[in-house]
Amino acid sequence: MSGTLTTLKKELLSYAVSPVSWIIAVLFYLVRGFELYAAALGFAIYRADPNQFPGATYGAGSTFYMVLLVPGILTMRCFAEERRTGSIETLMTAPIRDVEVVVGKWLAAAVFFAILWLPSVLVLHVLEYGPYFDADISFGPVFAAYLGMFLLSGMLLAFGCFASSLTENVLLAAILTMLFTGLLTQASEFLAQYAGALRESYYVRELLAKLDVYGNFSNWFARGLVDTSQVAFYVGGIGFFLFLTWTSLTSRRLA
Amino acid sequence: MIRVAELTKRFGPTVAVDRVSFEIERGEVVGFLGPNGAGKTTTIRVLTGYHPATSGRAEVAGFDVQRQSLEVRQNIGYLPQEVPIYPDLRVVEYLRYRAELKGVPARERRGAVSRAMAKAGIEDVARRLVGHVSHGYRQRVGLADALVADPQILILDEPTSGLDPNQRRRVKQVVRDLAAEHTILFSSHILGEVQDVSSRVIVIHRGTVRADGPPADLVARSTRAQLRVTARCTAEQLRAWVEELPGVVGATLAAHGEQPASLRCDLEPGADPTTALGDRLQAAGVAVHELRLELPTLEEYFYAITDGQDQQLDGDAREGAA
Repeated sequence: MSGTLTTLKKELLSYAVSPVSWIIAVLFYLVRGFELYAAALGFAIYRADPNQFPGATYGAGSTFYMVLLVPGILTMRCFAEERRTGSIETLMTAPIRDVEVVVGKWLAAAVFFAILWLPSVLVLHVLEYGPYFDADISFGPVFAAYLGMFLLSGMLLAFGCFASSLTENVLLAAILTMLFTGLLTQASEFLAQYAGALRESYYVRELLAKLDVYGNFSNWFARGLVDTSQVAFYVGGIGFFLFLTWTSLTSRRLA
Repeated sequence: MIRVAELTKRFGPTVAVDRVSFEIERGEVVGFLGPNGAGKTTTIRVLTGYHPATSGRAEVAGFDVQRQSLEVRQNIGYLPQEVPIYPDLRVVEYLRYRAELKGVPARERRGAVSRAMAKAGIEDVARRLVGHVSHGYRQRVGLADALVADPQILILDEPTSGLDPNQRRRVKQVVRDLAAEHTILFSSHILGEVQDVSSRVIVIHRGTVRADGPPADLVARSTRAQLRVTARCTAEQLRAWVEELPGVVGATLAAHGEQPASLRCDLEPGADPTTALGDRLQAAGVAVHELRLELPTLEEYFYAITDGQDQQLDGDAREGAA
């Protein structure tokens, strides 16, 4: 456990001093800030219900940028860079369990990702005042939406760690993660076309529903609804990809 | 402290380490000697738990490297051949991180890092980014990393590679200073270093152990001691006298031409016919210009056994080794 914490601290420090993190943050805040401003202005002009606002903003381009592109960029260096520079040798020969390394690195990526997102909650709070809504926004749906986003991103970050453990080419690791993300967003629709009679099966239907990232967001999380089966699906996905990462890492110790 | 029995490591069809066995007792400083690609780094990587062995056993500090890898890693300080360090951390930050990773308690961490930096001589770059320090300093940051948790066993893979003579001397001094409190296995392909620092040498070549013992013993065991003699007589006469002597296994002409004749004689291990030959030449009334026993150096011994020739070498090879 202490190994996880040590790795977490070190990785967070690395994120904090990496120019890539700052470029991601600046781009995100610029685009997100502009989008929220434009959307809030639209809501104010048309006197729309402010409580619809958080849900409406999840379709914004910056959300896709953050959820679909950023996990690959954040995690590409996790193991690929260590393999490329050879520092994996000092890491693997230190008295720390492989699982602690994997969890520490993933956790650092997840915490850093959360830190990037949190200021956008503050923006919502600012919008509660005039001249925008001049009304209280219900933060329940906001919480649910953020939870959904973090769960999905957590799974993508876990996949990113796995992709990064497969290669020493950081770019390839990032591309693999983005490809996976792209496939995941299309998988439900694509598989449904070929499922045929299997769609009659309850389990197949459920699996397709859970895989439907957009559906999960627009029908559930963005409306403030948290379905425990969806939470379990994403948490399971995180566990699954972290397990694969651990397997990939620890396989070099096995004869 | 380190026991290796019949250790084999294959990478696909390539046998990197072939049934290597050796033991290192507490407090020994052992030089692991071999040319590049001999299997030193692979053996070390198996000992540190980085690579699994294909077959055989290895124990470090009483723990099996395969089954008790974590315990092994808790007891060693390891400096890899290429010191790879996170370039975006400061030297002191990196060492604190490593100390924490190695389980140095929080209240002792600052002191442990300071001591390790002092031993490695890197206090002046403590606040510099690791990526900005020179290769020599980076090597010593790696050494400080190996020392920071004060492990019983130090495994140093080519600790002086890429260092200038002053830095090399400093690292050797550090290793000598550490010898009192630690068991040290350090690899090198530079013989002088091994001879200077270690009490015992294990020579590995093409994945197999070729020799194991104190440097002086290894040299003495060599068949490569030679006698050089230059005397004012004909070469045939000199050769006849020389070949009568016990311990001489062959003589070759060292210089062509008329008198004085000069011969180079190969000797059996431990043989020293210098006095006998001197007496003989004196009795014959021949003027002696040179009569000298040339003891082989570790370098020559190393050359002989790593060149696949455990027996005598001819004169050309001898010059090649010089």
